[in-house]
Amino acid sequence: MSEAVPAVQAARDPLASRIPITVITGFLGSGKTTLLGKLLRHPGMDRAAVVINEFGDVPLDHELVASSTERTALLASGCLCCTLRTDLQETLRDLYARRRAGEVIDFDRIFVETTGLADPVPVLHSLQTDGFLAAHFRLNGVVTLVDAVNGSGQLDREPEAVKQAAVADRLVVTKTDIAGADDVAALRERLARLNPYARIATAVAGELDPRFLADIAPASAAAGDDELDRWLPRAAAALAQSGGPRLFERPISAGGPHDARVRSFCLRFDEPFTWDALHTVLETLAALRGPDLLRMKGIVRVVGEPGPVVVQGAQHVFHEPVRLAATGTSEPGSRIVFIVRGIAPDAVRALFAAVAGLAS
Amino acid sequence: MATPPAAARPDRALSLNMRLLAHHPLDGFGGIGEGMAMQQARDGRRILWLAHESAPKNFTAVDVSDPRAPRVIAQTDLPHAKVRSNSLDVVGDLMVVAYQAQARGLTPAGFDVFDVADPESPRRVGHFDASGPWSRGVHALWFVDGEYVHLAGGAADFQPRNPKDDQFYRIVDLRDPSRPVEAGRWWLPGTREGDTEDPPPRLPAKHDAGFRAHNTNVFPERPDRAYVGYIDGGAVVLDIADKAHPRLVANWRYSPPFNGFTHTVLPLFERELLVVSDECIQDAGGDWPKLVWVLDNRLETNPVPIATLPAPPREAFVRRGGRFGAHNLHENLPVPTSWRSESIVVGTFFNAGVRAYDLANPYQPQEIAYYVPSAPPLAPTGAVQLNDVYVDDRRIVYTVDRHVGGLYVLEMTI
Repeated sequence: MSEAVPAVQAARDPLASRIPITVITGFLGSGKTTLLGKLLRHPGMDRAAVVINEFGDVPLDHELVASSTERTALLASGCLCCTLRTDLQETLRDLYARRRAGEVIDFDRIFVETTGLADPVPVLHSLQTDGFLAAHFRLNGVVTLVDAVNGSGQLDREPEAVKQAAVADRLVVTKTDIAGADDVAALRERLARLNPYARIATAVAGELDPRFLADIAPASAAAGDDELDRWLPRAAAALAQSGGPRLFERPISAGGPHDARVRSFCLRFDEPFTWDALHTVLETLAALRGPDLLRMKGIVRVVGEPGPVVVQGAQHVFHEPVRLAATGTSEPGSRIVFIVRGIAPDAVRALFAAVAGLAS
Repeated sequence: MATPPAAARPDRALSLNMRLLAHHPLDGFGGIGEGMAMQQARDGRRILWLAHESAPKNFTAVDVSDPRAPRVIAQTDLPHAKVRSNSLDVVGDLMVVAYQAQARGLTPAGFDVFDVADPESPRRVGHFDASGPWSRGVHALWFVDGEYVHLAGGAADFQPRNPKDDQFYRIVDLRDPSRPVEAGRWWLPGTREGDTEDPPPRLPAKHDAGFRAHNTNVFPERPDRAYVGYIDGGAVVLDIADKAHPRLVANWRYSPPFNGFTHTVLPLFERELLVVSDECIQDAGGDWPKLVWVLDNRLETNPVPIATLPAPPREAFVRRGGRFGAHNLHENLPVPTSWRSESIVVGTFFNAGVRAYDLANPYQPQEIAYYVPSAPPLAPTGAVQLNDVYVDDRRIVYTVDRHVGGLYVLEMTI
């Protein structure tokens, strides 16, 4: 008897099999605590875990349903609240181990609050370079809160505030109820110039639809156009002209001295890369200008790969490229977004062209 | 921690990347052994055939065409209470069902052959008799090519030196389903009365389960190899190019110091790996650790262990009730209804549920999914005891409880 035996099938879905982590950052007073306090109580958060800096930050007194330990508390919403241990890596490892042992809920996502002054990039690096974390978690995205009252001044004075906004996948403007309408509009415009590829929302008193934060990055290798657009909006890069690699640059910000050096641009390519060429370009960029490569996100076509490939990095660390299924998306070309500090877009474009010329 | 871990609380279900689609207690007969096979019926329905762990039921057929709404369409009885079926396989419309008796000399002891073209009415078309004065019959069998049954069983002419060593590897020609005939056999030298070799040294009494075959797997990628779990004799690979005269290729022995009971030897051919599972047979961690091993098989005469699948936390599960440790793996059956993966291994771990591991890096396997049902009502050990698992070509996971819980249907989101 010879029935058709199915071929040995491919491996694990590199996205769906990992627990998504959303990093929530923002300057002191930007409203992270208020936002998290609301988020924790949302019915849609019943299987979320939230890592915060201090229990005292978020008033939990009436929310406890089980006896809390020194580090974790289970809230009435079902949400698990956990304080940061000595470092985030250790905290995430511990949370995962305790999930397996059934000591905490079967959480299906994690929100991590960074300290106000923190640079979020090291958190992104941990998720890639720590083998255990990389095996079990994936980055959903970076959400940066900007206070409508003080945000502009912070962007003027503090390079870290600019960096937080530049690396974001989602920007949330807070305290819009106590700021002038013109100030809010100006801040939104400034943020859109600084990081045109992030979606922007406003939140008053922490009220925000959790979905705005929940589904940022594609959640499975079968992701389609909609999911990819949510992560890397095609519209922002859709001013395409035909022929060759195409460059779109947002005008250099007219903001303060720090964001003046930050620029963002999108490169589009009709021809697929070879793996060698893509690696060479990214390694060269990281080696020569790592500190200034604030964030890079791309959906690229690679020779020999049936579907698109998701690439992303921050500064000198790139995440493992993720191969998507061939069936999900319709766009034949590649698009890569860069948010950089003091790097001329032409130089990046020329690097791509030179490597492509040598690799072909 | 003031409170014990929830994993120690059998009333709690635990999950990661697996979602329960349906649970079916199989009409009150929810104790299932280690025989699970899926038939694609002629009318397109998917029928999951399940061998019961013990009497009174023989096997149950469940229509799982809609995995969210499984329906029992047939359930049969054994001829008496001192026999169990435990194992079955299906190719096309032909099903083979093992019979193992509680005592030597009893019948039926062997396997039956059924025509299941009409799944509601299985029709017996053949029988292979493996009964005998020293035989309990057949414990486990493997039938995937429509021609040969590979099994662990006794025989009328086989007198073991130690009664625990009664079941060895047998190949049965089923090309005429009404007249199965033996095509070959192999046993561990020294275990049969009359062997010139010395008998193998026994494991310590607490762990002496016997030197006998358990799972006997043969794949189309290597039709000349049999991969055999040989219980206390470790993992055995045989050259069966000449079925009448199987020859030993490799025997990986690791007990003692471990506690025996090698159950399954699963080759990942493209990866040149072997995945070897133990079976836990004692409650409350009595034989811990029972593991799943990853072996480098580049040189097939010298398989080398390189990793174990990260075991669920002992402290959490050992108090949950019943057995805790490895057992069956999804065996990449070479049939159209089976999921086949060279990088993901799915296994059952009794009270620690069903678990999936990613072997992309074989030196550092990662656990990527699990589901631990809450204790089914009237569970004799107080906890679920997931016994076997089958993953179909839709990536739907079917897993069964050894005692009362019946069938759990899960969606894997990996």
